[in-house]
Amino acid sequence: MDFELNTDQTAILEAVETLLARQAGPERARELNAKGGYDAELDAALEAAGFTELVQGNDTGPLEATLVLEAVARHAGFVAYGATALVAPASGHTLAGPVALALAEENGPVRYGASARTLLIFDSQGVRMRPLEPGEAKPVRANFGYPMAWVPRDGGDRLSPDVALRMRAWSRVALAAEAAGTMKAALDFTIAYVKQRKQFGRAIGSFQALQHRLAQAAVQVEGSRWLAYEAAWSNAPNEAAAVAAAYAASATQRVFYETHQQNGAIGFTREHDLHVWSMRLQALRLEMEGVAGHQRAVSRARWIRAEA
Amino acid sequence: MEFGWSEGDRKFRQDLAKFLEEALPEDWEEVSKDGPGSDAQAAFSKEFSGKLAERGWLTQHWPSEYGGSDAPPWRHAILSEAMWACGEPRGPQYMNVNWIGPAIMEYGSEAQKSEHLSRISRGDVLWCQGFSEPNAGSDLVSLTTRAEPRGDDYLVNGQKIWTSYCQNADFCFLLVRTNPQERRHRGISVLLMPMDLAGVEVREIDAVIGDRYFHEVFLTDVVVPKSCRLGPENEGWAITSYALQFERVGAPRYARAALTVDLLAENAAAGGRLADPNLQEKLGHARALCEAARVLHYRVIDQRTHGLPPSADSNVARIAGTMADLAVGELALEIWGSESLVYGSVGDSNFRASMSAGIATGTTEVNLNLIAQRLLGLPRE
Repeated sequence: MDFELNTDQTAILEAVETLLARQAGPERARELNAKGGYDAELDAALEAAGFTELVQGNDTGPLEATLVLEAVARHAGFVAYGATALVAPASGHTLAGPVALALAEENGPVRYGASARTLLIFDSQGVRMRPLEPGEAKPVRANFGYPMAWVPRDGGDRLSPDVALRMRAWSRVALAAEAAGTMKAALDFTIAYVKQRKQFGRAIGSFQALQHRLAQAAVQVEGSRWLAYEAAWSNAPNEAAAVAAAYAASATQRVFYETHQQNGAIGFTREHDLHVWSMRLQALRLEMEGVAGHQRAVSRARWIRAEA
Repeated sequence: MEFGWSEGDRKFRQDLAKFLEEALPEDWEEVSKDGPGSDAQAAFSKEFSGKLAERGWLTQHWPSEYGGSDAPPWRHAILSEAMWACGEPRGPQYMNVNWIGPAIMEYGSEAQKSEHLSRISRGDVLWCQGFSEPNAGSDLVSLTTRAEPRGDDYLVNGQKIWTSYCQNADFCFLLVRTNPQERRHRGISVLLMPMDLAGVEVREIDAVIGDRYFHEVFLTDVVVPKSCRLGPENEGWAITSYALQFERVGAPRYARAALTVDLLAENAAAGGRLADPNLQEKLGHARALCEAARVLHYRVIDQRTHGLPPSADSNVARIAGTMADLAVGELALEIWGSESLVYGSVGDSNFRASMSAGIATGTTEVNLNLIAQRLLGLPRE
């Protein structure tokens, strides 16, 4: 048991932070949001630096990939890192990236669908891997911080139910880490804002009524982050993965509300950075069956012990 | 970063579970229904803690010179988890080993160390904590219980309130004002006061949270020898802060809450209700809250293991624990429905156990203040 980063993990995080500070961030996100694109350059840079192969590495594994995912989310990266670098490796196949995730029984658009070359379609029997040809996915206008697209949900090669279950668990760990990083950035941005925004002759961040709510949100962000790391290190057991996702997805609701409330009207504008992270929180909250789905998965894994 | 248990830790957990099976009486549920402060549990705690001491587990995290075995903080955390999960058979003695002992190690005279530490590590002494007063709750530093010097003694007058465990306690870790001229943090001292001194009167407060739960302690012309003072005169606040930094994660309430959620689920399963998706969601949510509290507590234990200074992360853990505890208490009432209305029923006991979560050892609001200022760097109001 050791919550401190080891030397390798510190080096990985420092390197990815440097890369992200240069190639991602709210400015870049705003630009890509406007044109509905995918950050192929960031993807290529992450791949060139070896960050997309951490799960398969000799001295690295899913925890390191999860640490990187949290950082990518904090910097509002426009890349499908979670699905590609953390979920896809659990298939046991080499999948063409970027990878996108979809639920067969849902009709909505999926994140990064238009740029994905492989779609993983989860259904009641498991999961199917389906290559996506250019033009098959249709981009759709959405206001939730990610490029969204309609995707075909037919066909694809079915993987074994066991493998599907593993991939589902990894998708939950990835969701928790991504939510944790996104919430952290939205919260940090808000904290900086309430320290400098003055009303009634003082920084609004000096009001206890606001402080307590930010402190509550900080507890949930920290909880999400550590549950994700722990689940990743333990190889995504069904229960721990569902717990991390249930907790983080539920936390997004409060963090969204508090950060927007405390930024006031300017928080709704595109010139203000908050939306780059905050709007994403709602997309993450709904993903892969949403909060209630993760909560039911916790119950199934812990007390019913059939498939989770 | 890694989250695995060592072989030794795993074995300790197993040994502990086996030990508990033998050491807890058949009617343990009945004995423990009113919490660690009840007469029944206080009495049982002396027998039980003695057995823990015999195995070297009661104060294993203490330095060997004080009767411990220098075990890493993780061992004691595992013990605390197991103890709280089953309703704290150490009774009030968890305070002794968590923070009263360590405070005496740090600030005590040789005589105090030899008198108190050996008794605590044998498991046959009960302490209570004399902090809150009618006009000093969250704002503890405004306390006014007065200790006036009289030769080799102090003459103590005042009143403490919300005191748990004191009806059976042998000693009180008492905060008094030794210098009335100094305001606030200055002028407070700690007395290790025997409870059998003349002028100490304990009255139970009739309360819905449970019988024998808390009390008032009236102190009228109590003569306390100066040799009972812990550390220098007027330095009591620093000593208290030192002691309490251990206490925010000292009582892992999430462990009990998690066990309660398991019970709720088993009960629902037995009644054929676990297929209800709505119930699955509630149970899953409660389980997630308990797990978040656990991992955030572990983080603080880890910081202590690394010798890092105490930080607002302990307040973060405390808030997460409170959230879990309160949610589970409510769920317990809900799941057993109207059966929970019976005093001592599973729903009732768990609900009452959860009620004080946001108040005991520092209110939620005080913890949130500390997070806002120390972790988020927000300016004081």
